[in-house]
Amino acid sequence: MVAGRILRIAIPCIPGRPPPPPPRVPIFPRFIRASSVQRKGGYKGPKPGRDWIADWVSKNDDAVRSLPIYVGGASLLAVLFNRAVSGIAPVADASSSQSRSDLLTLGLAVTNVLAGLVWLSIRPKSIIPVEPQGVECQVIYSHLPESVVSEILWAWESLSNVTCCRSLVIVYDSQCIVQIGVAAKSMNDGEPFAVDAAKLMQGSLCQGVLKSGAQSYLANLSLYPGRSELPFLPSNTQAVILQPLGDRGIAVLGGDTIRGFTTSDQAWITYIGEKLDATLAKYMNLVEDFKVSQAMFHETKDGR
Amino acid sequence: MILSTTKSLLLNPLIQLKTPPPPPPPLKFRPKFASISARLDNSEQQLNLSVLRFTLGIPGLDESYLPRWIGYGFGSLIILNHLLGSDSVTAAQLRTETLGISLAAFSITLPYLGKFLKGATPMDQTTLPEGAEQIFVMSQNVSAAQKEGLAWATYVLLRNTSTTSVLILAQGALCIRGYWNLPDGVSKDDALDWFKNNIEETGLSDLKDALYFPQNADAEFWSILPQGTRSVLVQPLLDPNPSTNEMGNIEGFVLLASSMRYAYSEKDRAWIRAVSNKLRSKN
Repeated sequence: MVAGRILRIAIPCIPGRPPPPPPRVPIFPRFIRASSVQRKGGYKGPKPGRDWIADWVSKNDDAVRSLPIYVGGASLLAVLFNRAVSGIAPVADASSSQSRSDLLTLGLAVTNVLAGLVWLSIRPKSIIPVEPQGVECQVIYSHLPESVVSEILWAWESLSNVTCCRSLVIVYDSQCIVQIGVAAKSMNDGEPFAVDAAKLMQGSLCQGVLKSGAQSYLANLSLYPGRSELPFLPSNTQAVILQPLGDRGIAVLGGDTIRGFTTSDQAWITYIGEKLDATLAKYMNLVEDFKVSQAMFHETKDGR
Repeated sequence: MILSTTKSLLLNPLIQLKTPPPPPPPLKFRPKFASISARLDNSEQQLNLSVLRFTLGIPGLDESYLPRWIGYGFGSLIILNHLLGSDSVTAAQLRTETLGISLAAFSITLPYLGKFLKGATPMDQTTLPEGAEQIFVMSQNVSAAQKEGLAWATYVLLRNTSTTSVLILAQGALCIRGYWNLPDGVSKDDALDWFKNNIEETGLSDLKDALYFPQNADAEFWSILPQGTRSVLVQPLLDPNPSTNEMGNIEGFVLLASSMRYAYSEKDRAWIRAVSNKLRSKN
């Protein structure tokens, strides 16, 4: 059996989040190599090979971005130098074939320079996450069945591992179902700030979201005056996503980076919201039906 | 229970496969590129180069491939010029032409290099595999909760990533959805058995770490995948507490196939891991 080195995916380590995982073997961002297992019936198939170019480009991101500019600029100078050395006047007409090939080469050089400038312009700004100030909490509505709780905990675990989400609050049917993560400290004691579900649902932020039925992404929370409606989030929360759960609830996600939620994160959060809405609706309807049947039962008992 | 969709339904759901910007209509959020510029904070002085981003405004045209087309076009013009040059070709002209051809070759590789830069978004090149039909089969003897979980997981994976075909094996239950090439003799009803036999042969159920093939590979298990598959990701479902059992309890795997190369970015893989965690048994 071939014993290979196991290179695992590093479970996403986002810079600035304490404590950072211990440095492991070098991280190759483009693929994962699996080693064969030392036991009978292990996976003996092929493993993906190293992708040299992808690794090299990812590692030298800045240098590669400016590479076309240097190449284009150098070629430009080379063409002019060539003309000068060969004793031809630097006239930009297309009369001789020499001029024509010069022009074509110049065109290519300019294309490279522009491509390099475009690459530089789309370099993502490196934004440092801001550690939210508050107290860790995990408050879950006590009457929920096991399956609903585990689904909610799965959602929280996925969101906190994959995105920059650091606080999660779910309100459903004007009740606070969940408050997990970092919450603002309340004034009197060091306890987490309790969520006033009714007030939240009446506020303009939530009303707008529920009316439109679409997710709302406040990418830079400091710019929004509606910030005051979310007092339970840490004061230095950078970004917030408000995800409606059907038309009965809302999920508030607080992130620690400005514009920290990417487009794909938003899409995933929408789907997770729909799933949670389906689960909670089913449970709440069961409770409603149970209460109604209880009321009817008591009525018939008294009515006799 | 086997649920199969007819051909008439196939195009609609899968055309809405994950499309990178522009975003799908119901979600109201800003496209990522609207405000990215090279102007940074106080610590670094840099030019604001965002004015140079332009677009020809033709929908469906990917401007990042422009250097490649210019490379081909100008390169062929240089060669044409060389061949049609009536008089003898001077050394100076030869030098220019060599430089021009090498620049053209470099321009042609630019989009390929650009794909690996941070912040590069892949154009939606998902094509549907030819000759494949859309199927949705699930094992029988599966609890309602598990059925719902499998159905939701496959649905979300097909919608949110550039996956064309998904296969999940979780706690002995098999769920296959998307575009698959069933061999000629196999009808939709026998599909489940055919898949089950093939998977046992591949030994994928004993995988411990995730496998990602960003490009076409010569793997045995690719024979069950639809034609036109370019990248494959296999994510095993591992027991959350590896310390209890030194090998870790392997409960199955999630196999995703896409017709695009380099289909799954880091973020995609992280989300796929999160979805596969949902399918684990809750002990």
